[in-house]
Amino acid sequence: MQLEQIDRLIKDEYAFFLQERKGWSLTVGPQDLELVAHALRVLLHARTTPDFLADYLALADCQGKDGGWSPFSADRESTVWVSAFCGLMLIRGHRLLHHERLAHSVRKAIDYFLDTQQQDGRWVDPRWADLDTTSHPVSFFNVVMALNEPHRRSAVLRAWERGVRFIIDHQSADGGWYDEDFHPSGVEITAHLIQDALVADLVIDNRVSGVRESCAKGAAKLYEWQAVDGSWDGENVDHTMDCTRSLMVVTCILGAGHREDVIGRALHWIIANKNAQGWGDFPGLETNLERTCDGLDTLLKYKAYRGSDPDDVIRLWGYIP
Amino acid sequence: MVSEHWIEVCRLEELPPSGRKLVKVNNIEVALFNLEGVIYAIKNRCPHRSGPLIRGFTDSAGGVKCPMHGWRFDLRDGSSERPARAAVYPVKVANGLLYLCL
Repeated sequence: MQLEQIDRLIKDEYAFFLQERKGWSLTVGPQDLELVAHALRVLLHARTTPDFLADYLALADCQGKDGGWSPFSADRESTVWVSAFCGLMLIRGHRLLHHERLAHSVRKAIDYFLDTQQQDGRWVDPRWADLDTTSHPVSFFNVVMALNEPHRRSAVLRAWERGVRFIIDHQSADGGWYDEDFHPSGVEITAHLIQDALVADLVIDNRVSGVRESCAKGAAKLYEWQAVDGSWDGENVDHTMDCTRSLMVVTCILGAGHREDVIGRALHWIIANKNAQGWGDFPGLETNLERTCDGLDTLLKYKAYRGSDPDDVIRLWGYIP
Repeated sequence: MVSEHWIEVCRLEELPPSGRKLVKVNNIEVALFNLEGVIYAIKNRCPHRSGPLIRGFTDSAGGVKCPMHGWRFDLRDGSSERPARAAVYPVKVANGLLYLCL
């Protein structure tokens, strides 16, 4: 894959993403916050966050009193999954924007996740699988720890450790993670969990034993599950992007050598199955903004993955200051 | 009194047993499934994250599971164990043609 081609695609898709701003920007009106978080991640990885302070402040403004967020910005019932995604984008945005309202919002989000963790280490959201849900606050706490955020630090460390342990303890013997209700194929959940757990291990310095071995087994399972054409999960664009991004960061951290065959094949499939502008959920389906954000994010990460500094791709997850 | 308005969407032979078909009616995507000879019609977009139910996994209990994040809906009434209900539509067959009431 030529990097010039990737650069052209990024430029073109980013222009489309901006053109669709009224569909994702909280400065325009109430929005679906998962989509907003996807969009803010694009801004972070395109390194344009400083131009969008108002969007980050608007996200802080729709935070609930309990420190969480609702799936839709105008609603008030906080749920874990979207709260973690929003909190993660806010703390990463704050690192670049240095705004007191964002700092306050991050502290409230920390309180929310400390308050909502279950006894066995999991977090629960009825809209998502428990394992997948748990990986999100773990991700958020990864960044909290990596950035040395001092708010309730010892409690965060304990909660983070219990969350990672919950994830590792629920891996299947074959290396995958499964949820009979939400993710029977195991593909998407395994992709999420190996990247979040492995980055956690990197940040918190091997505090939970067996994470690297566990994630290496999970990565091997993803290699095995990839279709010959490069896709995963029955040509599922979302899950193929998840696997591709996860494997890029995981192979960089494990130092097991780049898997150009797997990642290159995946990226080729992703590009071959994009629409004139953006991506749909499956080949041939109409473009939607969330998948387009994922596609753009995948291209931005691939560019970092192909760069000369192996830490670049890890930085793009925001874990290395 | 509400008048029923049935809309012809396809021929029955286009939806054989175990078959599925996506149709668009009044700008709404509807996923049609033929499960053991019974035809079901459900709004194609999952109320969770808009996943395409036409690509979902059906089961013998008359359900379809979204391919994106696994939310399952009963094709008879759209009910789900998740915090949402999918829209389902009445179906009738007449003279080899399939009709929906939206």
